[in-house]
Amino acid sequence: MKQIQLITLLFFFLLLSGCVEREILDEIILMEGIGFDYVEGGDITGTILYPDYKKETEPENVTYSATGEIMKTILQDIERQAARPIAFGSLEIVIFDLELAKKRGILDLIDAFQRDPAIGSGIYLAISENKAKELFKGEYGLRGNARFISMLIDHNIRHEDLPKTNLQRFMGDFYQQGKTPYLPLIKQNSKTKIELSGVALLKYGKIVDVVSNEQSFFFKLLADKYSNGLHRVEVDGKEAAVQSIISTNRFELTSRDPLHITVHIKIGGTINEFTGNKLTDSFIKKIEKKFEKEIQKHCTQLIKRFQEKEIDPIGFGHFVKSKTRNFDFNQWWDSEYSQMEVTIKPVVTIDEEGIIE
Amino acid sequence: MKRKKQSVQSIKTVFTKSQDYKRICYENKITKLTFTLTFLTTVTDEKIVRDHILPFLLENEWTKLEDVKSILPIEDLQLTDDTSQIEKKLLNGFVMLTLEKEQQYCFISAKKENIRNITVPEVEFSVIGPKEAFVESLSENLNLIRKRLQVKELIVEQLEVGTLSKTNIVLLYLDGITNEANINTMRQRIKDLEVDHIADSSYIVQMISDNQNSPFPQFLDTERPDRVAATLSEGKVVLLVDGSPHAIIGPVTIVEFFSAFEDYFLNWILASFFRLIRFFAVAFSVLVTPIYVATLTYHYELIPQDLIGILVTSRRAVPFPPIIEALFLELTIELLREAGARLPTKVGQTIGIVGGIVIGTASVEAGLTSNVLLIFVALAALASFTTPVYRIGNTIRLLRFPFLLVGDIWGLIGISLCFSFLLTHMIRLTSLGRPYLEPIYPPRLQDFKDAFIRLPFYKQSKRPNQLRTKKASRFDRKNVIKKVKKDIDE
Repeated sequence: MKQIQLITLLFFFLLLSGCVEREILDEIILMEGIGFDYVEGGDITGTILYPDYKKETEPENVTYSATGEIMKTILQDIERQAARPIAFGSLEIVIFDLELAKKRGILDLIDAFQRDPAIGSGIYLAISENKAKELFKGEYGLRGNARFISMLIDHNIRHEDLPKTNLQRFMGDFYQQGKTPYLPLIKQNSKTKIELSGVALLKYGKIVDVVSNEQSFFFKLLADKYSNGLHRVEVDGKEAAVQSIISTNRFELTSRDPLHITVHIKIGGTINEFTGNKLTDSFIKKIEKKFEKEIQKHCTQLIKRFQEKEIDPIGFGHFVKSKTRNFDFNQWWDSEYSQMEVTIKPVVTIDEEGIIE
Repeated sequence: MKRKKQSVQSIKTVFTKSQDYKRICYENKITKLTFTLTFLTTVTDEKIVRDHILPFLLENEWTKLEDVKSILPIEDLQLTDDTSQIEKKLLNGFVMLTLEKEQQYCFISAKKENIRNITVPEVEFSVIGPKEAFVESLSENLNLIRKRLQVKELIVEQLEVGTLSKTNIVLLYLDGITNEANINTMRQRIKDLEVDHIADSSYIVQMISDNQNSPFPQFLDTERPDRVAATLSEGKVVLLVDGSPHAIIGPVTIVEFFSAFEDYFLNWILASFFRLIRFFAVAFSVLVTPIYVATLTYHYELIPQDLIGILVTSRRAVPFPPIIEALFLELTIELLREAGARLPTKVGQTIGIVGGIVIGTASVEAGLTSNVLLIFVALAALASFTTPVYRIGNTIRLLRFPFLLVGDIWGLIGISLCFSFLLTHMIRLTSLGRPYLEPIYPPRLQDFKDAFIRLPFYKQSKRPNQLRTKKASRFDRKNVIKKVKKDIDE
């Protein structure tokens, strides 16, 4: 009896094996990047990018484009041009063109990505100032364009001023009513060069504002827990480059009526470069004070700007909600957010100023 | 009486057909007594007959068989009237002395023994430690063990198996330490054996295994007398088979197959490290090609981006799906191993080179296999050689193939399914009725002291829980831990 059970079990297992789709690595197109461009009349041009691996040389960047109304029709058109099935699993980067983000919004396009189980939530979304089709046609480096762009973003998150972002965070920010999402902004300089040109702030899938590179250090202090950026401070005509090693931010609800929030920012840093002669302790104190002042000024400016444009990439709404019973979002966005007062209290400590005394 | 006569007669008629059967009549020089010596020239030492038996029988004065005992310088002398013994004794190398008038038979031991010299262990060679290995002679092997365990508690029980081979089997255990149930089970299993011929201890190992349909060896066989002595003192049961240079040890657990005896000669930190490497190597050896096949066929998402380029370019020219490619290479390696094992050493080496270098690189260049897989398969083969016990190495060789097939059919789900089947099988296995997967299942925390890692000797004061020995403690731990010095030069 037991044996009969086992045999039937194995039999059905074998039958079931037909249900799994085989995707043999070298017999599929490993799409690494996909980009969407705005076309006059409301349609979208989708471009997929995949690396065609060559022995002992850099992979060749191959792109296929098609125009359609929703993503699936675009992909269907692209499949008609391809010799092998297109697989989504190694997707690294999704690019939206700036015009699309301004005029049509990107939300309905992102939806497909969060539904596909093959796509990881760690992929990067970015907005490009150029057309995605053109961006993908460049030649940026060693491992193919998609890898290059995703490495560029990854590197800037880890070592520079770009606050953490990926599909997971974007969706989290989007579904969180007390927060609005942000995405990195990319610009193509030439056929072989691209650069990060700022942080795009979105609301309901449409771009509302852009934080410039100069201010993104301060934006990261507010929006992200850990900052590793570099900032120049000028004191008495001498310039010092302060590298932040450690930074934490803590929000404090100082009063409810009127609504007042204090943001404590702590930075531990080192001085990487100094144009003066001697760095005395008193001078370091001065640099610290100056740096604190600058943080205060820029951060307050940023928050004022966000309040005016009715976006909240820092997540004050979420913070206040977590402290308030029966929180009402409608009321928050209608009046409370724009009237909210924010005080920045930065503390900068410079721990090191170089090894040679 | 008549029937006895007949049976003696029938023995004689059967034996006379053999060319080595000798029956010679002599006459004593003093008493003129005629006596007959019967023996088989092939199993008796003619030198003993010529130098130690005949001269004494011819020149001394004796009339009865009883007298022989006092004149012969041979200790093993038996007087009997039991005719059923004749056949056995003659075949065992005894010389039968008979007198016309007496109904008794006198058996004089004159065994011819060809003993190979004791050599260095070949299968379980170790750089450090004793270099003695068992030989084919039972008495010699017993001597090697007795030398190492000089206590009266070491019991040597004799058993016999095989209607044709009449193989002597010796059951060894330490009285007062080894669990009675283990001894009884082992003895009963040997006694219950119904077989005509035993060629080697490997026959016994297979026949007395708890589950004979399992690819896993359920008894450890070793050629090292030091290992046998060590396991005996742990409380295990040991079998020695006459004519076989391997002792059988039981009950054992799976982890013992991955522990080389050399582990005990090395410092415990080093030994533990090497043991862990071995476990890792085995897991790698079994799973690496199945995982390769599964990921390349179904789960390309799992491959790190930087690796994809390498994999794709190496597989681009290969016309087969990953499973065919993997089977081709795995079978090639197995072929090489079989060919190398069957051929004489000198030719075997050339086969290894031809196979390893020529077939490997040629098949990559011809585009039959990818070079990434070639590396994996070669590493897996290398890793499977790290097992210190030959038997488990063979098991590992085999285990790879079902994994490979399910990896192709159901991907990683199939591999984990196959693994759970394997685990279920291993949990159900027993060795002499004791759990095979101990100390993992059932969990015995105490026995982890000598499983995946080997803790220092002062921690090994207890005998393994699994053996349920009569005396759990090996030595008093308190005496081992010495007074701590207050300063380094005190």
